[in-house]
Amino acid sequence: MADFSGHLALRAEARADGRTVLAAQSFRAPYHVSKSYWDADACTLLVQIVNPTAGILSGDRLESDIAVGAGAALLMTTPSASRIFQMKEGTAECRQHFAVAAGGWLEVMPEPLVPHRGSHYRQVTTVAIAPGGSLFFVDQLAAGRIAHDEAWSWDRLCLEIDVRLGDELILRERLDQTGDSLHALAELAGSGPAACFANAVLITPDPDSAPAWRKVVAALHGSGLWVGVSALRRGGWSLKFVAADPMRLRDALRESRRILATQYPRLACDPRKL
Amino acid sequence: MSSAPAINTEAGDVTWFCGLLQAGDSFYPTGSYAHSFGLEGLVHENVVRDRATLRQFIRGSALPTLRHVELPLAAHAWRALAPPDWPRVRELCVLSSALKTAREARVAAENIGRQRAELVATLREHSLAREYLLQAAAAQWPFTPSVSAALEGRILGAPLPAVLAGITYATLAALISAAMKLLRLGQNASQTLLTESLAAAPALIAEAQATAFEDIGWFNPWLDIAAARHESADSRMFIS
Repeated sequence: MADFSGHLALRAEARADGRTVLAAQSFRAPYHVSKSYWDADACTLLVQIVNPTAGILSGDRLESDIAVGAGAALLMTTPSASRIFQMKEGTAECRQHFAVAAGGWLEVMPEPLVPHRGSHYRQVTTVAIAPGGSLFFVDQLAAGRIAHDEAWSWDRLCLEIDVRLGDELILRERLDQTGDSLHALAELAGSGPAACFANAVLITPDPDSAPAWRKVVAALHGSGLWVGVSALRRGGWSLKFVAADPMRLRDALRESRRILATQYPRLACDPRKL
Repeated sequence: MSSAPAINTEAGDVTWFCGLLQAGDSFYPTGSYAHSFGLEGLVHENVVRDRATLRQFIRGSALPTLRHVELPLAAHAWRALAPPDWPRVRELCVLSSALKTAREARVAAENIGRQRAELVATLREHSLAREYLLQAAAAQWPFTPSVSAALEGRILGAPLPAVLAGITYATLAALISAAMKLLRLGQNASQTLLTESLAAAPALIAEAQATAFEDIGWFNPWLDIAAARHESADSRMFIS
């Protein structure tokens, strides 16, 4: 099977009439960019990144570079979960960089990663936000192929994210755990054998220290759904979710976006519109 | 330019050893006694509810956090402090803060780290501690317990494994001490658990010393969520 050296570069910019367009785009398999959609109500350009191969395979090296200019607003999503296949030998790696200029808005809302048994995958995400830029970034992880009774059985899964506001590191998270160790924590917390996770980061130019939405989102917690909202060291918020199954996680994220959209109207853009 | 004392490995000189014992004692006023380090939040969520679940939490979260976060941060800081590489020390302080997504955990670490660094400067009267405080104040570095422990270890002339052992002991003792106030847990059961947990220290310390800067980090979303929810809990015994 062919190894891919995938490449994706997008630059979203605001036109004089305020509408966001892709001023530059280039991509190479396995990446493909679908036709974009301008949501006039949310004033946001929706772009779907499609992987026409079955998923991420051994030897894949994926690189992406997404930039949003001043006044532009972009929602980047994927149409389906990213499956990380078994790798009898070799590894796969994805490096993704996002940059938001002052006055820009970027939402990254891909469907979950699904690591299969014996997969070996590393994902390095860096985000650079200029002061005055805005971001809503979501990363989702499933325990595995739950329907096939296969979970927590990756060989290695390393997910890293660094978020910088201006020159300052405001968030670093790193998951590099065995399936067994994460499964043990899920069992301890009562999250069940199919627990799945979402990490969200909200950065805004004027983060309110006690926004009204915080209590409403936090109130989703309960009956097996874990939700926590806390202020980052500067510039915004960390929102974390753990659900007992992927459908519950999807519902919680959809509801959280709906709540947040009351203050950040660009989040009213429907990622499933395309 | 400050310079730290050389590491003293003479069998007869136990000055640094006495200093580390003092720093690891609950009598040492860093304020850590007022924190449960997320444990109270997990007790509220009924995750940690007895000795067995506390043991699981220590093995599944507290020890790995030491292994992958606090001990590597201290090891890198210990190396960066002699001779002082202030940009690197700053980077470690910022990284320590950025790794704590829950505000309460971050503020707790900053307060304990600040208190310990200021105490070191007062008690040890060493130019390295004074310069650290000046640098931190000038550039508004976040304080962190790991870097403050490394600073104190450097000033005492303690070898790195001993400094890391001191952090391991102080962290586990503080956690289990908080657990005694939150759970039905007696003195003997606590000491048994502490002894069992400390048995992991040699391996943790050896691995932590070899951890690259880029590999520092650990993921326990339940602890982060519990800490985030503890911020607005209706009742609580501990600050964090």
